[in-house]
Parts: sequence; C-alpha cells; structure tokens
Amino acid sequence: MTDAAPDSVVPDPAVPETLAPSPGSAPPIAVPALEIRGLRKAFGAKVAVDGLDLTVPTGSFYGLVGPNGAGKTTTLSMATGLLRPDAGTIHILGTDVWRDTVKAKSLVGVLSDGIALFDRLTGEQLITYHGLLHGMDRETVAQRTGELLDLLDLRSAGGTLVVDYSAGMTKKIALGAALVHAPRLLVLDEPFESVDPVSAANIRDLLAGYVHGGGTVIVSSHSMDLVQRMCDHVAIIGSGRQLAAGTTDEVRAGSTLEDRFVELVGGRHHSEGPSWLRTS
Amino acid sequence: MVAHLLRLRFRLLLNGFTRSTWTLVSTVIGAAWGLFVLVGLVIGMIALSFTEPLWVWTVSVIAGAAAVLGWIVIPLLLRGMDQSLSVEKLRIFPLPPRRLLVALLVVGLLGVPGLVTLVAGLSTTLSWIGEPVALIAAPFAAVLGVATCVTASRAFESVGASLAAGRRYREVMGVLVFVPLILLGPIIGIAGSSIATLSEDLPGIARGVSWTPLGAAWSIPGDLALERPLEALAKAGIAVATLAVLLLLWRHSLATLLVTPARTSSGSGSAKGLGPFAWYPATPTGAVAARTTVYWMRDPRYGGSLIMLPLLAVIAVFLAFTGSDWFLSALGPIIAATLAITLCAEVSYDGTAFASHLSSGVSGVADRAGRVVTLGLIAVPLVVVATVVPLLVLGRGDEIPALLGIGLGLLLTGFGVSSIASARFLLPVPAAGESPFKTPPGSTFTSQLGMYAAWLVVFGLAAPELALGIAAVVTGNVILGVAALVVGIVLGTVFMLVGIRQGGALLERRGPELLASLMQARGA
Repeated sequence: MTDAAPDSVVPDPAVPETLAPSPGSAPPIAVPALEIRGLRKAFGAKVAVDGLDLTVPTGSFYGLVGPNGAGKTTTLSMATGLLRPDAGTIHILGTDVWRDTVKAKSLVGVLSDGIALFDRLTGEQLITYHGLLHGMDRETVAQRTGELLDLLDLRSAGGTLVVDYSAGMTKKIALGAALVHAPRLLVLDEPFESVDPVSAANIRDLLAGYVHGGGTVIVSSHSMDLVQRMCDHVAIIGSGRQLAAGTTDEVRAGSTLEDRFVELVGGRHHSEGPSWLRTS
Repeated sequence: MVAHLLRLRFRLLLNGFTRSTWTLVSTVIGAAWGLFVLVGLVIGMIALSFTEPLWVWTVSVIAGAAAVLGWIVIPLLLRGMDQSLSVEKLRIFPLPPRRLLVALLVVGLLGVPGLVTLVAGLSTTLSWIGEPVALIAAPFAAVLGVATCVTASRAFESVGASLAAGRRYREVMGVLVFVPLILLGPIIGIAGSSIATLSEDLPGIARGVSWTPLGAAWSIPGDLALERPLEALAKAGIAVATLAVLLLLWRHSLATLLVTPARTSSGSGSAKGLGPFAWYPATPTGAVAARTTVYWMRDPRYGGSLIMLPLLAVIAVFLAFTGSDWFLSALGPIIAATLAITLCAEVSYDGTAFASHLSSGVSGVADRAGRVVTLGLIAVPLVVVATVVPLLVLGRGDEIPALLGIGLGLLLTGFGVSSIASARFLLPVPAAGESPFKTPPGSTFTSQLGMYAAWLVVFGLAAPELALGIAAVVTGNVILGVAALVVGIVLGTVFMLVGIRQGGALLERRGPELLASLMQARGA
C-alpha cells in the first residue's frame, strides 16, 4: 500500500476475520476504549506521570507522542496492568484495569518496548504460547498462529528461535503474540522501531484493517511524520502531563504535527552548529 | 609487521591502565605474584639440582606437561580474557596468514604469561648443573616446550573461535568447561588421601606423560642425563612433530577465520513444529509446562543445574569404592534436596519476559503448576532411580521405602516452598544467554540467605518423614520405612498443593511489583 492521506484509513481485505474483534459484543460507542483519569506515578523523587488524563475513543487509531522521558512507556505500562499506579483510574472499555485485572487484560494486546520475550522459543512456539496462556483452544491457536506468521512475513522463520531473529523480526513476532487472542484494544509501544519499510507498511495495513473492523489501536512513537500519516487521533504528552489531544487535524491546527510538537514541548536550540562544521 | 602488532599489544595494555586504576592495580599485583612464583621456581630448580637426576626429570616432565595443559585450558575457560588482538578485530586489515601467525606467536611469547613460562622453562637448565650433556640440551628443550605452550594455546583458541560462532556450541561449552572445575575438589581430596602412594607412582606417571605431546619436550634433557639417548631422540621427534602439527592447525584455522565473516547461527537453532507444545494439554498450565520444558532443553541456565547430578553420582560411587557407602545409599535424598529448591530461581530466569505472563492475565496457579509439572517430570524419576538402583546394588533393598519416603517428601515439599519463594523473592541470576556460572551483579548476602531459609523451611516441613525414615534405617524396621514413604508422599503432596495455591495467589497480587524489580535488575 502506498502512503495514504492522514484520515483515509483504507480497509485491507487481507486481514482475516478471526483477528478482527467481534462486532457483535461491541459496547455502545459512548464507552471509550481507554479512559485515564488523574494518573500519577513516581519513581522515588522523580515523578514520571503527573496527573495525566487521556481518553481514547473506541475505533480510533490513536498516536501518543512525547519527548524522551515524557512518561509514554510508564503510562502504557500502567494502562495494560504491568505497572501499579500511585493514583488515578484506568478503564479499558469500561473495565477498571486495577479492579478487574484479568478481564481487562483479556481485552487488550500489548507490545512493550524494552521487555524481553521468551526468546528460546521458535516464532511459532512463541505465538502459540501466548495464545494458550490466554486460555484459547488448540485448533484456534494453531489456525491464528499460521495466519499471523503469513501476515507478518515470518512463515519461513517460524521454526527459528526468536533469539536468532533480527531486531525488526523480533518486533513483528512480538506484534503477532499481542494479536493472537484478538484483543479489542492494541497498545503498541514503539512498534516501528528497526522494522524495514516494507514490513512497516504491511504492519500499518494490518493495523488499519484491525481498526476498520472495530478495534482500537494506541501507538507511541517518536516519528511525528508516521503518526501524522497513520493516526486519526493524537495526544502530545510532556513531563507526565497531557499537552494536547484530539483528532490529528485539531492537534496540528494547520501546521505539521512536528512543528506543533516542538512548539508545545519546547527545548529547540536555534543555532547552526560550530563554524568549523561548515565545509564551504 | 611483527613489531607493529607487538607495539599495538603494549599500547592497548597501557591504555587499559589509564582507563581504570583497578586494571593497573590488578596488573601490578599479578606481576608481583608472577615474579614471586618465578623466584620460587628458580630457587626450586637450583635446589633440585642437588637431588638425583631421576627426580629432576620427573618434576620437569610433570610440571612442563601441566604448563602446556594450562596454556590450552585456561584461555578456553576465561574466554574474552585477552581479546585485544583477536583475529576478528584483525580481519579487516590486509594481513597474510603466515606473517600474522609469526606475529601472534611473538606477541604471545612476550606477554606476561609467556615471559613467565619462558623464564620458568629456561630455569630448568639450572637443575642440570651437575649433568653437562643435559645442561646443553635443556635450554633448547625449554624453548621447544614454551613454543609448544603458546602455539597449542593459540591453535586451540583459534579452532575454538571458528567453532564458537554458533550460539549452541558456546552454550554447551560454557557448561562443559566447568565440569573439571567442579570435579577439582573431589580430585584433590582423593589425591590428598593417597599422597603417600602418589609420590612413589610419580616417576611412572612421568614416564607415561613423557611420551605424550604434552611432556615430550620437557623430557629430553632428563633422558640424556639418565643415559637414554635413543629415547631422547624419539621424544625430540615427538616434540617437533607436535609443534609442527599445531602450527599447521593454527595456520589453517587462521586462514579460515580471516576470510570467514562473523556468521550468525541462523538455522542452527531451528525446530520443526511445536515440539513440547504439542505434548502437553492445550491449557495455560500445559503451555507453561511446555515452555519450561523447552527452556530445560535449550537454556543452559536450567540444564546447567542438572550437571551437578552425574557428578554427585560419580563422587558417590567413588566414595563407595574407597570404603564408605553412606553417600551412595543416600544419593536419592541428596539429589532430591538439591533439586527441591531449583524452582526458586524460575521467575528470575524469566527476566522481563515474565511480562508476557502478566499481560496475558494467566492465573498464578497455572503459572506455578506448569513450572512444577516440568520439574516434577524430570526430578521424580531421577530421585526414584537414584534411590532404588544404588540400594539394590548395595544389597540393601529393605531401606528403599524409608529413603524413597525421605527423597520424595523433600522433593514435593520443596516444590511447594519454592513456588511461594519464587513469587516472593527474586534471585540475582545470569541473564538469558550469559554463562550459567557467571556471578551476576547484586548477588547479595540477603538473597543467598533467602535461598538457605527456603531450604531450612523444606527440611523443617519434611521433618516427619525424615524422622520416620532415619528411624527405619537405624532400627532396620521395614514397617517404619513404609510409614516414612506414605507420610512423605502424602504430606509432600499436601505441601506442594498448598504451595502452588498460595504461591499463585501471591504471584497475582505481586505481579507488577515483581516485574518492576525484574526490570530494575536488568537496568531496563
């Protein structure tokens, strides 16, 4: 697929039915896929997330951007039940993540940044493992594992240990493991890091098809360009707070997302570098 | 080019000093130690010249052979000890293999260990002061011997490096090279117990060793002094041939290494199908059991703990031959006690991959039970065999129920206790892919203490079957033994189930906190 214009999320017929969330049990549109209120987390004296509010509408392709150390990974870890917040509430599709943890976790698929996989398993075993951990039966797991390996161009590497994968292949297999239980909400932390352009385009198609089928995707990324092209909603966070949020067009307000980001976050240096660095 | 590489070698050494004062301090201490050993050696060699030629010959052959062996084994053990001039780094430069070989040989000789060995080797000349023929031959033999040391070391390292490109090979070697180290204790103990007879055997041992490539060069002056010129000639032949073969081997592997880029072992670690995932039932518990089974087979940190068991068996059999069979008859319970707390490190071994358990919301009980199932499938048959077979061989079949009761009781209780302990404490363990014997950072006193505490609890909880079993063995009462077996299995099973349940609940409660400390431990 060539790069689409910002808001035209093209459905992809290649995405199999089994991976799309079942529309029958979808709650009313009023319930947001993810709702965060007053979230707070401190590591010792350092406050990582400071009273963050965030609402992710169901069926949106949501981009979460922010400078290094803004609290993106911390926020997403707390939203997916991996890190206990100090204060605040998190609801996934109306389920309180820290009250009814098991139900919330069954609704969400997670790709974390900087977290190891069970990498002595082969790619096929890893996806199977994640499927079985979610309590799925053997036939469904086997069918979905096969489809995911095909979708992610990993069929030929399915029998190779994940530890021998390249960085990009590891990202893709982690994405497969996050998708296998057909979650209603996908939380992806830096999903495109070190993924080659072709695979990245394939993954974007897959995600777009997933959103079209009623799912919700949250991605955190450093690539403003990518978020602007791919996401219909975006939130900019800095120093653990929300600086701006809304549809991508609202947030960028006629400018590019990158300019708007720099404007909101600040810290840009206006210098042309040392004179000796100029070759002419 | 030889001078160039030599200068590079010393420049790297000096730069290392400026980077860390501790390198400097440790090098100074190492040099002082080397000097101290050298002075001791030289004095020893002079003292040796006053004894009979037979003893001078025996000492120089055995010490020389040990030196060659040390040069081969120590670099393999301490992989990465001195990689400053490794072939991988030199590959990008246009170097012909033959010149590179000469350069590396000289660099090896002129390093600190090379110089120490050279001086020590030459000092053997001093022991032959009373024997003119040997005195003339000794320096040449010593140079031959030291050259063999350096060449053998480099050749084996280089051959090893061309093999070590595969991850699987590295992992297996990482475990195997520690077998002799673990056995070192018993060997020294055995040698110590028979030291009196050993000194009489030494000339015989030296005679055998002197015909091997290890000792041939060092034997030449002694053979001359002992008026065995033909033997001396034959050994000179062996020594020169050894050196030639090693040089050829080294040159061949250097030539291969220079043109072979560092390859990733794609394909080596592949498997068809789902493996253990197809063997276990398709439930969360089965999945965890299948995953840990894969890890027991593929991750040397798991299998590495099993390597102790055959060694325990070897020690037990040996002790039985030397007269005391208590170790052999108690082998089952001893292995059970060793395996009982293996599970304590499970979550620590998972590392941050534990997050996938947490994010899937798998129940804590399934997590605990799956891990217990795998270890149980390995450990229970092991303990049964290790109890029954030795006792049958010793003709003490009537003790089987008692000792089996103790063994299984300890094992099952241990499963329960460590299911709780591993949800409560994290042990600092080597990360996935590191040497299983590496001491990880943060190996604190408290975590060691936690491990011993878990062990104490296991023994405390297993007290009933321990008491019954010991009473049965002491009194020879089979009924008491059967009671120990029943109590051990029933009580152990109860503790195991309670441990899985409690550990599972604890894991669900403390999951995020465990993950946070796992991430902290990895600096993530």
